[in-house]
Amino acid sequence: MTTDSDEVENLLRARLENPFLVLAVAPAADIADIERQGQRLLAELAAGLDGARRYATRFGARARTPELVRAAIAELRDPARRLAHEWWARGLEPTS
Amino acid sequence: MRSAIHVGIDLGTSNSAIAVFDGEAVSVVANASGETLTPSVVRIDGRGGRTVGRRAQRALGGDPANTRGEWKRLMGTADRLPFEAAGAALLPEELSAAVIGSLLADVRDAAGFMPRAAVISTPALFELPQNHATTRAGRLAGLEEVVLIQEPIASAIAAGWRADPDGTWLVFDLGGGTLDVSLLETADGRLRVLDHAGDNFLGGKDMDGALVDWAAAALVRRGAGDLLGDRASARGRRALARLRAACEQAKIELSRAVRAPIVVSDPAGDGGGEHELEITRDELDVLTAPFIDRSLAAVRVLLAKNQRTPDDVARVVLVGGPTLMPGLRARVDEMFGGRIAAGVDPMTIVARGAALYAGSVGLDATPAARAPAPAAGLAVRIEHPSVTADLEPFVVGRCLPGTSQASGQALPDRVRIERDDGGWTGADAKLSSEGSFVVQVRLDRSRRNGFRVRAFDRGGAEVKMASGTFAIVHGVSIGDPPLARAIGVARADDSTQVYFAKGTPLPARRTLAHHTIRPIAAGSDDDALAVPIVQGESVRAHRNRLIGMLHLRGVARDLPAGSRIEVTLELDRSGQLATRADVPGTGQTFQDVAFVLVPTASVETSERELSSTNRRAADVQRRTFLLGVPAAVQAIAEVSALLAEADRALPAARAGDLDAGQKLRRLLMDVNTALDDAEALLEWPDLDDEARRCKLTYTPMVAQWGTPAEQQLYEQELEAAGRARRRNDAAELELHLDAMRALGRAAYCRDPHSMTDAIEWAAAHVTEAMDVAAATRLLDRARALQGHGSPVEPAGGGLQALRAIVTEIWDLFPSSPELQAKSFDSGIR
Repeated sequence: MTTDSDEVENLLRARLENPFLVLAVAPAADIADIERQGQRLLAELAAGLDGARRYATRFGARARTPELVRAAIAELRDPARRLAHEWWARGLEPTS
Repeated sequence: MRSAIHVGIDLGTSNSAIAVFDGEAVSVVANASGETLTPSVVRIDGRGGRTVGRRAQRALGGDPANTRGEWKRLMGTADRLPFEAAGAALLPEELSAAVIGSLLADVRDAAGFMPRAAVISTPALFELPQNHATTRAGRLAGLEEVVLIQEPIASAIAAGWRADPDGTWLVFDLGGGTLDVSLLETADGRLRVLDHAGDNFLGGKDMDGALVDWAAAALVRRGAGDLLGDRASARGRRALARLRAACEQAKIELSRAVRAPIVVSDPAGDGGGEHELEITRDELDVLTAPFIDRSLAAVRVLLAKNQRTPDDVARVVLVGGPTLMPGLRARVDEMFGGRIAAGVDPMTIVARGAALYAGSVGLDATPAARAPAPAAGLAVRIEHPSVTADLEPFVVGRCLPGTSQASGQALPDRVRIERDDGGWTGADAKLSSEGSFVVQVRLDRSRRNGFRVRAFDRGGAEVKMASGTFAIVHGVSIGDPPLARAIGVARADDSTQVYFAKGTPLPARRTLAHHTIRPIAAGSDDDALAVPIVQGESVRAHRNRLIGMLHLRGVARDLPAGSRIEVTLELDRSGQLATRADVPGTGQTFQDVAFVLVPTASVETSERELSSTNRRAADVQRRTFLLGVPAAVQAIAEVSALLAEADRALPAARAGDLDAGQKLRRLLMDVNTALDDAEALLEWPDLDDEARRCKLTYTPMVAQWGTPAEQQLYEQELEAAGRARRRNDAAELELHLDAMRALGRAAYCRDPHSMTDAIEWAAAHVTEAMDVAAATRLLDRARALQGHGSPVEPAGGGLQALRAIVTEIWDLFPSSPELQAKSFDSGIR
């Protein structure tokens, strides 16, 4: 017997940490643009700019941290992992 | 602008080196004897005086009881190495600290300051306890800040520094004690580690061992005494140490000559004079062939795992002393069609790469006292990459709050950035309401680019700035170091909650929710709930390695079973782990993580385990061949060879060789992991059936009762599970099935009938609850609520209350005690 709400919550957290959502870039973006956007977000977070602290998803805004941004860049550098994230990103992007 | 100095240290099994990088060039610092390599050897005399490096190494043959070398494989263990005359016994990390201290002193003598921070390299296959020990060694040596880097990444950075062609590379790093082979890729100036493999117990030391055995046998034939048979006595150990030093010298000479003498004085320790043997390069090649075969086998496995052949590798970088052996170079050369990188010094490349990495992460070794006092004027915080492959990176700045008012200045209206060489000036950028600006600067290729920020008020007058200069080096952009093995938390049902998957870039931080499986009594230090932290790829917790334990004890008030806790794991850039658990119910935070040392199993325990592992291997091999599952056959392909290696390590472990004991333990772990993998593959038909059952059971539940988010996730998990089934990927399928079960059960809980089912189940099993009285009380309350309406629709909107009670009841039922014991007695789910 388990407390399923934890697992669902943890699962939702993991899925909504999709690198394309975290970096706010389209799944078609090329790696140079992804790296540049990631580096920009890291610099903005380090400088404490408010606009960088949250990102939008279909199920509401989430907190953006330097760790998430770094992880997102690294995930998208790997072509196989990027393909998986492109697949998981479907249906999670903000509607507007 | 004050120039930062970056320091990198290669802490090797046999030799160590230190290098500095000033933003333009990297150089290896020579020691007091003028050598760039410092032997990793420490001697302590009877008065406690310490000698490190070449002088200590000279004493290895004559005074082995007071001189130690080659302890790197023991890092992270609690094995203390004795120094008889001083009556002292030091941990491996304390010996490493002595070597680091000596290297830092060399920089002090050359640069005029003692470095306060450095990057230290470690083998890629080092586990968390070994990395912790390396960091502790740096701190003991006086470093305020220590960042670790994996040796193959350091080598690749040094070899690929400043514009190299794109492609796949292989770094073949054979050190004194360890082998690391890494596959890397550079594309558009960005360096990425694809994968690595290796052997923590294969190195030049093993080749020296084969040479020593050969020479000892030759001495026996000459009637000069049996050195190996007499290794238990102090006299025998001294003679063996002299022979080892002579053999190592001969091996080095054979890198240049085709034959070399091995001169041993008084091998029997009876004043019997000097004996001279001779060995040819061909004979050495025969002796070392098994080790070279093993190292090349690791290369083949790595390439195959990444769907590559030797022809796909554009360049091979050789690192480490043993790669200077002509026999080894010829074999690697043959395998890769001569594509060995030229102009690379295999002995110092790691230290150089570590220094370059220190530059790329902005780790300044200069003591604070050297920093100039801040100037008057507007202070601006500027964020930018230290090293990048991007020719037009973003720079973000922010005027620091309060500084402008303090100096009587208004915030400037706009800023302009200029490159020092006058080759580029950016357009003026308006400050935001936060006092910030974002500007894309332009870099000159392959060099250090200095910039200056100038600020202007509304009238166009320049605003005086306290700071505003920065530099960006254009070069190979290095990705954050990837985590070598997954890290997670063991749950009481023996499942692993993965926090960081293998390959996660560091630093990383993650918080996930859990619930306690039993009550914790207030104020009691004896009543501790365990949160085990494990490292490994298996979804079954017990198949991973326990690396740390967080205990929740001394809670402010009684914590019932099912209390929510939020566990945070944080890894810094070096892979150092910090853990905390927050208990929202009490507002308390627990952080006292006990880190687990590399276990030191007794030889008797290892012998017993070897015998049981042999039996298990025979059983798995029999079933594998009976069922004919190709993937399982592949999974156990190495098992027989590993067990034979374990058999060979046993006699030395019995004779008290700590290194052999560790090797035996590691081999047994590797064999059992391979057997676990094979067993998981043999269970594939059951897992496939389970996947079908999950789909039939949970799909209607989620469709009817799931939230939109749950439905979306379930659909994707179902599709991913289907793909994993088609690929026969058991590990991947288990992950998606776990997710489907969680989503299905969460949805099912919203079905009013589920309440009735759950209450009936709990009533039938109430005696198994951890708190029977509490469970009975909750059941009574649930039934009372049900009694006020229909069984599935309690009156007065009581469904929500009923659901809350059922959740409380569920939390009172334990996981299986067997599973909990397997999962390191985890107290959470």
